[in-house]
Amino acid sequence: MVLGWVGFLALWAFTSVFILDEFTLPGPAKVGAAMWQIVAQGEFFDDFAASISKTFMGFALGALIAVPVGYAMGRSRYWKAFFHDGVVGAGSIPGITYAVLALVIFGTGFLGPVIAVGLISMPFIALSVAEGVEGVDRNLISMARAFRRSDPQISRHVMLPSIMPFVFAGVRLAFAIAWKVEALTEVFGSSNGVGFQIRFAFQAFSITNVLAWTLLFILFMLMIERGLAVFERRVFRWRVWETA
Amino acid sequence: MTASTVTPASLAPPRRGKIRRSLTSDWAARITFYVSIIVAWQLLAWQVDRMPAPWETFDFLYRELTGGSHGGVITGVFWEHFLVTLQRFSIGLGFGFVIGVILGVAIGTLGFVKSLLNDVMLVFLALPAVIWAFLTVMWFGLGWAAPVYTVILSTIPFVAVNVTQGIRAVSPDLHRMSGAFRVPRERRLRHLMLPAITGYMFTGLRFAVIIGWNAVLLAEWFGSTNGVGWRARFWYDAARYRGFLGWVLIFIAFIFLLDGFVMRPLQRRAFRWRDGRTGDGDQDAAESVIDTMAARGV
Repeated sequence: MVLGWVGFLALWAFTSVFILDEFTLPGPAKVGAAMWQIVAQGEFFDDFAASISKTFMGFALGALIAVPVGYAMGRSRYWKAFFHDGVVGAGSIPGITYAVLALVIFGTGFLGPVIAVGLISMPFIALSVAEGVEGVDRNLISMARAFRRSDPQISRHVMLPSIMPFVFAGVRLAFAIAWKVEALTEVFGSSNGVGFQIRFAFQAFSITNVLAWTLLFILFMLMIERGLAVFERRVFRWRVWETA
Repeated sequence: MTASTVTPASLAPPRRGKIRRSLTSDWAARITFYVSIIVAWQLLAWQVDRMPAPWETFDFLYRELTGGSHGGVITGVFWEHFLVTLQRFSIGLGFGFVIGVILGVAIGTLGFVKSLLNDVMLVFLALPAVIWAFLTVMWFGLGWAAPVYTVILSTIPFVAVNVTQGIRAVSPDLHRMSGAFRVPRERRLRHLMLPAITGYMFTGLRFAVIIGWNAVLLAEWFGSTNGVGWRARFWYDAARYRGFLGWVLIFIAFIFLLDGFVMRPLQRRAFRWRDGRTGDGDQDAAESVIDTMAARGV
């Protein structure tokens, strides 16, 4: 694993010095220095805080709509057919669509990225919820009814535990997409955030800064994904047949 | 959603009137969905000044297809821009797919390539297409190279990862057995490896199509002087939002049709031998979207 990274950095440095030049492809040392400067000057924290708060808000909005939709899809054949094309099609619509539409409808403010994130995460969360609801063991529900458990009790102790793992998996995967679309929306129009900084570096024709911000962006995303995966394993430790 | 989905509801249809039943059929539900989208769009157009109404947009699209003018600009150039983009997209996709397959096979079969690239791939998977668009525009300037290279570079990791997965999915028992029975190398490739990776190759191709389309649009938006992405930006910069939205609809319609009617059926066919389905069911739509999510690059 270490070998991979060392090899990659070596290849990058070699290409930068001997095949291309320092301007076309700045070497790892130069990009690393730029990354350090971004972090040391505090820009990193301001812009990542801006981006991450927009992502979470959009995500919350998406989940708020997606959970009832997913529940309806899991329970009723009609709603499943109703939402089917939208939910499946949303997986293939290019991210640029969300970004430019948000720009036109909401302008360059704060609302654009939030709505874009909400829209892109919604179908994915809805689908996971629907799958979870469909996967609930009907025999368990009948048994709970036979033992005269109330509906709230059934929801809390039978439905919820079997739906949650699906929801969590959906959320974890949707997050990576949401994070990318959020940055993309900022690239198209925003006054702060990671995407804005990448756009700014592009317009200043600074390949070094584009690479530095991109690497910070990716590191951050991989860290959050890893963190969510660890959290997921802890929360669902009780599941014997756990595979994820 | 098709008849093959066995749900309790379909086993014992409730007794309802004929009209009621046809209104709640799957087809009626789908049509209702599309109608609601149009209604929502119309409502949004009333609320937001910059949002054109559906009929205005379709009217513009008709003129962009057949000729005429909009806002003082001559229209009727749909095919010109669409074909340019289609060409860039296909060239990029072809190279990206071939390089991706080669890389995926190398990672799956050669130990040192795997240790070299396995983790680095994670970074490339996480790299948004817009970064490639920016870098290629800075490297190659405006023109053909930026969109084509953007498609190649952003599709390679998705194809490679899927092919590698396919190679890992080949049962080691079958490998050992063919070793024990001294099955010749080419027969092993033909009957053991190939069927196993074909399905994964199609999955990779499907992701590459989705990702490549987004990539070509982004690169054209930021660094081109023609093509679908450029034309949308042209109308956006001119503040003619009918033109802009018309082209955004083309972004969506193209991939919607290509993915729904070509790529997804092909992927199902390629996995048919494994899943034991006849290939017309849609019950795996859920899985396929989850797959898309898992590997999607925006």
